[in-house]
Amino acid sequence: MEPYLIIAAILVPSLSAALCYLIRKAAIRNFIVVLTSIAMFAVAGGLVKLLMESGGKLTVDFEHMPLDIGYIIKALDFCLFLYIAYIGFRFRKPLVIILTMFQFVLWFLFEIYGLFGTVHEPVAFVIDYLSLIMVLLISIIGPIITVFAIGYMKEHEHHLHLKISRQPRFFMILFVFLGAMNALVMTNNLSWMYFFWEVTTLCSFLLISHDGNSESVRNGLRALILNSIGGLAFIAAIVVIYTAKGTLSIEEISSAQAFASSTALLPVGLGLLCFAGFTKSAQFPFQSWLLGAMVAPTPVSALLHSSTMVKAGVYLVVRMAPAFSGTLLGKIVAVVGGFTFLAGSALAISQRNAKRVLAYSTIANLGLIICCAGIGSNVALGAAILLIVFHAVSKGLLFLCVGTIEHGIGSRDIEDMQGLMRRMPFTTVITVIGMISMLLPPFGVLVTKWLAIEAAVDSPLVLMLIVLGSAFTVVFWAKWIGIVLTMSYRAKYNIEKLPVTVKGSLAVLLLAVLGCSIGIVPFFNSFVKPQLMQFGILGNSRLGGDSLGLHLEGMNGALMGGFASILFFAIVIVLMITIPAFLRITKPESVKQPYLCGENTAEMKGLEFTSPGDKVEPVVVRNYYLSGFFGENNLTLWTNIVASAIILIMFGAVIG
Amino acid sequence: MINNIIVAIIAIIAAPIIGGILSGIDRKISARLQNRYGPPVLQPFYDFFKLLGKQRITVNQTQMVYVLGHLFFAIASLVMLVLGQDLLMLIFVLAFSGISLIMGAMSVRSPYSKIGAQREIMQMLAYEPVLLLMVVGIYLTTKSFMINSIFKHETPLIYSLPLVFFAFLYVLTIKLRKSPFDFSTSHHGHQELIKGLTTEFSGPQLALIELTHWYDLVLLLGLISLFFANPIWVGILIALGSFFLELIIDNISARVTWKWMLKATWLIGIGAAMTNIIWLYLKA
Repeated sequence: MEPYLIIAAILVPSLSAALCYLIRKAAIRNFIVVLTSIAMFAVAGGLVKLLMESGGKLTVDFEHMPLDIGYIIKALDFCLFLYIAYIGFRFRKPLVIILTMFQFVLWFLFEIYGLFGTVHEPVAFVIDYLSLIMVLLISIIGPIITVFAIGYMKEHEHHLHLKISRQPRFFMILFVFLGAMNALVMTNNLSWMYFFWEVTTLCSFLLISHDGNSESVRNGLRALILNSIGGLAFIAAIVVIYTAKGTLSIEEISSAQAFASSTALLPVGLGLLCFAGFTKSAQFPFQSWLLGAMVAPTPVSALLHSSTMVKAGVYLVVRMAPAFSGTLLGKIVAVVGGFTFLAGSALAISQRNAKRVLAYSTIANLGLIICCAGIGSNVALGAAILLIVFHAVSKGLLFLCVGTIEHGIGSRDIEDMQGLMRRMPFTTVITVIGMISMLLPPFGVLVTKWLAIEAAVDSPLVLMLIVLGSAFTVVFWAKWIGIVLTMSYRAKYNIEKLPVTVKGSLAVLLLAVLGCSIGIVPFFNSFVKPQLMQFGILGNSRLGGDSLGLHLEGMNGALMGGFASILFFAIVIVLMITIPAFLRITKPESVKQPYLCGENTAEMKGLEFTSPGDKVEPVVVRNYYLSGFFGENNLTLWTNIVASAIILIMFGAVIG
Repeated sequence: MINNIIVAIIAIIAAPIIGGILSGIDRKISARLQNRYGPPVLQPFYDFFKLLGKQRITVNQTQMVYVLGHLFFAIASLVMLVLGQDLLMLIFVLAFSGISLIMGAMSVRSPYSKIGAQREIMQMLAYEPVLLLMVVGIYLTTKSFMINSIFKHETPLIYSLPLVFFAFLYVLTIKLRKSPFDFSTSHHGHQELIKGLTTEFSGPQLALIELTHWYDLVLLLGLISLFFANPIWVGILIALGSFFLELIIDNISARVTWKWMLKATWLIGIGAAMTNIIWLYLKA
């Protein structure tokens, strides 16, 4: 049973990819997309059931298969190198070709020529709870975004005035991407993981440059180059780790015992793997590719930012975390992540472009995940895994919301979103809940931030970075939420006309956001807690979950911290119910104009005032963006320098 | 469990009474300092009930929801304090209360309340890190985030956290919106900002904002007394002394700009708290 489900998780999206590309009829393609989504849900559900029954670990070996999968992957890997090199030739980017050449040479010497000894293939697939959580994210959020894309891409191509639809290509790449991600998180073979890693790199290039104009191609190539640097680090890491440990089994490499009984080479290999993770997760100084990725159609940004691509990077770092928990390498990785959290949050304050705010917020949250992985204690790893989940759900929703708003009002500028409630009430309500879920208690993202601070108390520098970063986070979210909620007196609401796929996927993701946060305790107890037990990290505190919320307890069982988040949802729900009630009981005659020093004009909304000389002028109030301090022109260069220095320090410290 | 509920109910009822009397005393003493006679000590309660009875005027329909959010989460954080819950989460819940008021001020199309809201966000940016660092300092002393464990600790926290306490007193002025940091809602309605954040709230809404302010006051004084617990009565006396100190500062200082505040708070407040925290690390 297990082998079939695993193969299905990878091949169902791949098969649909081929069908989407071959079948040119929109209606049939849409049907395939919906059908695939349901199939992917089912496969993920099947895996949950199997894992629960097996007691927390599924091991699948393909040794007795008629054909060797290892050879197939080697062949595909070779094709991949050729194709990426071809992209380099086609767009005249020597850097792409050089990076690919280096990767190819290392790969060839290692895998084919056997310069570093004959390679023993480890057990093909090992699925534990961390893999399962990732599969759930990929196979649930991914298809929802793909369904959203049905309605969105139709509108998108309508805006672009395309003669021939490029949707077959688009949906094909989306599904290949999802299949590769599923494979990446399930495989136990580091060199297979490298192959899937490169597939996601290629897919992200193809998706970012999908519109084919010069800006999108430029940004796509930047993503390709930065991620190829990460790819090079990855293959180098494989060589170093194999030399040090003589195995490619992720399970063995990442176990806590492995580190203790190893040569000085292993930390270098792990450092290289973390470096690869940093590029993929757009940590400073590699953040520019993720910011550039916003030129792509919204479903692409949603997918890259939430459940796929960037999450591959943090998955790798969290996966390896037990190996370097408590070591010097771990401490520096925590600083890299913490610094990215601070810098990303600070830069987000100065942004007016909604998608850029979201992008910086993504970078910051990924930084926090990596920071937690670096701290590496029981509580920190729990926070890292929970944040992966909460961030994926909320950010997926928010990107889809911004895309919908952009189609509705024709702008991504936050300042243009005043009075959005009147024009797009459905989307606005969902957007606001999405934003609140990123910022405020009792929602999950804040719970993880709370855990992160409680886990970081033992290292002052990291703590400082997280504390300042979380203060910045409050600023940019609060400003944006305030703008979106601005509304005039007695607004007449439009009924929004949205495609059913768009409306449906927004609603489903909203339910997912609420469900994850309300169900945090059962989720923690059945998925995260067993994973933390498998990591087997001892420390002075551990994370637990009871009926009302999560808590920290010392090893002697004493309570060190806790939050009954469920109780607070009661307050939130009461507030939510009062909103429509107040809308109803407010009498029209009790609504007054805002105060404008007595210079209001006849209209009731307070949009205009009478200026000296009896001229009627519009009232304009803008948010503070503090670009004199937090602007990209001021900060980007310096943050990149500092971040590069930290990474150099990391390598200097582990090599020396 | 039953005990907890009774304690929570007592706190919910007693806090606004204490807070109201304290702000009455505040007005009385301020008046004396300015050579005026001042209103009776119970005046805040008269004002409160008068506001409640006023006509229900509003600028848009949703304002009241934000005011209720402001109130409920302030009450929730007070309950967390008296029940000895997680101090770090208490700070986050308190932040929700503040953000709710900011949302209310930003929800109307009024330039004054919007600018007030922006400035209030800057105030949060100034005091939030110091509050979080205070929690960390307390953790490093008691090895727990639970407020309960502070009372079990043998020595008062102030012995190990003098600079953190100083930083907390400093940001208390910002949190209470007292002069020289009263720029999100000024004391006097005839300044450039009118009443800033609260310009567009009136009648019952304003009454509830005042009520929340009393809860906040009691909560913050409660946090001060944590530094001196136990015995708890020393803490309460010191808290009242600090309140008097705030009042004097309020009366003798002129308003500064928010940029100055941000720089000074990050430098002095965070600097002092971090210094204290670093020496605790080195000691441990």
